[in-house]
Amino acid sequence: MNRMQRAAVLLALINKLREGGSWCGETHIQKAVYFLEKLSGTSIGYDFILYKHGPFSFELRDELTAMRADGLLDLKVQAASYGPCFIPTELGLKFMKRFPRTMGVHMRTVEFVTSHLSSHGVASLERLATALYVTEEDKEAGKGVDSRAERIHELKPHIDLPQAKQAVKTVDQIIKQAGARS
Amino acid sequence: MAKNIHEIRDPIHVFIRMSTEERKIVDSAPFQRLRHIHQLALTYLTYPGATHKRFEHSLGVMELASRVFDVVTHPDAVTDEIRELVPEITNPDKLKYWRCVIRVAALCHDLGHLPFSHAAESALLPPGWDHERLTVEIIKSPEMQGVWDSLTPPLRPDDIIKLAVGPKKVKDLRFSDWEAILAEIIVGDAFGVDRIDYLLRDSYHAGVAYGRFDHYRLIDTLRILHPPANAKDGKKGDQVSREPVLGVEEGGLHSAEALLLARYFMYSQVYFHPVRRIYDIHLKDFLEAWLPGGKFPIDVPGHLSYTDNEVTAALRQVAVAASDGPPELARRIICREHFKAVYQRNPEDVELNPDAVNCIYGAAVAQFGSENVRMDSYTQRGGGPDFPVLTPDRRVVSSLSLSQTLKSLPVVAVDYVFVRPSLRDGAAKWLEQNRSSIISEAKESES
Repeated sequence: MNRMQRAAVLLALINKLREGGSWCGETHIQKAVYFLEKLSGTSIGYDFILYKHGPFSFELRDELTAMRADGLLDLKVQAASYGPCFIPTELGLKFMKRFPRTMGVHMRTVEFVTSHLSSHGVASLERLATALYVTEEDKEAGKGVDSRAERIHELKPHIDLPQAKQAVKTVDQIIKQAGARS
Repeated sequence: MAKNIHEIRDPIHVFIRMSTEERKIVDSAPFQRLRHIHQLALTYLTYPGATHKRFEHSLGVMELASRVFDVVTHPDAVTDEIRELVPEITNPDKLKYWRCVIRVAALCHDLGHLPFSHAAESALLPPGWDHERLTVEIIKSPEMQGVWDSLTPPLRPDDIIKLAVGPKKVKDLRFSDWEAILAEIIVGDAFGVDRIDYLLRDSYHAGVAYGRFDHYRLIDTLRILHPPANAKDGKKGDQVSREPVLGVEEGGLHSAEALLLARYFMYSQVYFHPVRRIYDIHLKDFLEAWLPGGKFPIDVPGHLSYTDNEVTAALRQVAVAASDGPPELARRIICREHFKAVYQRNPEDVELNPDAVNCIYGAAVAQFGSENVRMDSYTQRGGGPDFPVLTPDRRVVSSLSLSQTLKSLPVVAVDYVFVRPSLRDGAAKWLEQNRSSIISEAKESES
């Protein structure tokens, strides 16, 4: 996938997140792209490490900045105390439509991911994405809910065990539904 | 009695102080090599004063790193919640250890730079290598291990590596919240002291005022904070991540704005000056032709054997040879026969096709031949100018909600196409006639 195609997929994802009611700050996009990357079966091309609020891609951060430079995205603050949100520009929406085949390949997964994540806030997305990260970390071992929750708490001590367990259960459901869908 | 603290005069920080133990690192061969690596590559061909080296920059980063460390760990600056989330901050032994680590990491953060701090690492190093990876190799080398072991307390190389290189470049090491904050103090996007020092130092030596800002005020107001609340996180139990991050008190917001404006102006006026950029490209072309196999060595002794001095001597020697190939490549730099910009990024073209520069470059190569055309393209990295700010009423909010200046700060993006000087007029005419047919609307390829 080249840079233009990636930009088109990101615009579609951001658009769908917003339609689903997401505030669509950087953390929302980072975690949604992580789910997209892991559930789509075809890599979009971002490397994720465990960093800010869970899985984080520096390449994706750079890409969002480049898309602002190209006039495809705007960064807006809509309320005093809230972090900024990303909004596709008119140009961005037009640009996205020029990539119908790329959209054809990725749109179903984009819709699946956004339908599950749009309603979540930063703290919740951090837990879910970290739960997916630890599930992927030792996929072969097929670790149970408790051991994965403990791993989340070890990696992110500010996430307590009950929250971590709930996140693992939710992620297992999402993975199951994604599997049934494909 | 022998001195334990040593002072070095510095034009930016007046005095830089270091311990006898830190001087062991400064006296090591990898660090002394930095005396011979220009901070701004061949920028001195455009801004003659810009001849400063990575050596003094690294000392400056050490000085600033510990200033920030002392501010953000001062008991008056730390809340109970942060003490709970970052327990290291309440342990005097750990604080002492990590203060040593952050100073040493700051000293070492640029050890892996290639001659002329060259940015074209992907062309001049084997796949998968960059200067950060070389920095890691040097920190882990037997010579430096001896230095780490001899310090009191001995320092763990992995801890130095984490803070010197940061999470972006050492994906195999996992960072705790504490380590992530300390790495951010050095290499962070918003307030990293690497950036603070290079903006101040580069503007001082280049003779431009753009890079100056009140770093004293900024550093004094840095704090470890929680990120801002988020609109859709208002539901109970799902408010804000409790992960601590580096932010600033509202009193330092104007200094932070000034830093980010300084970055914008230094990038657009100095670092991405078209003549500076084409010299970088010519140097890369020369090095690819001159180096054995077209690459710099990646073993530590091999890496340390190359500085700007060897390359400059070679450029001068090769430039006087009377043949094509490397001599011509050297003459482009030594005799100032550099290519000229014929195209640069503009909003109209980018609106039609964000990849306009590649369209122009491809057409120019087809028209004038690849040996006569060069391209440069760069877009600012990192995130937006969004960081947490602590208000006087103890709320933590986004910097963008308080600052109109930051909201309007543009992203730096430059694109250039250059041609051989003798072709410039013809190329400019050709471009004027064909521009609209060359830059087509971006769309999916048929393949």
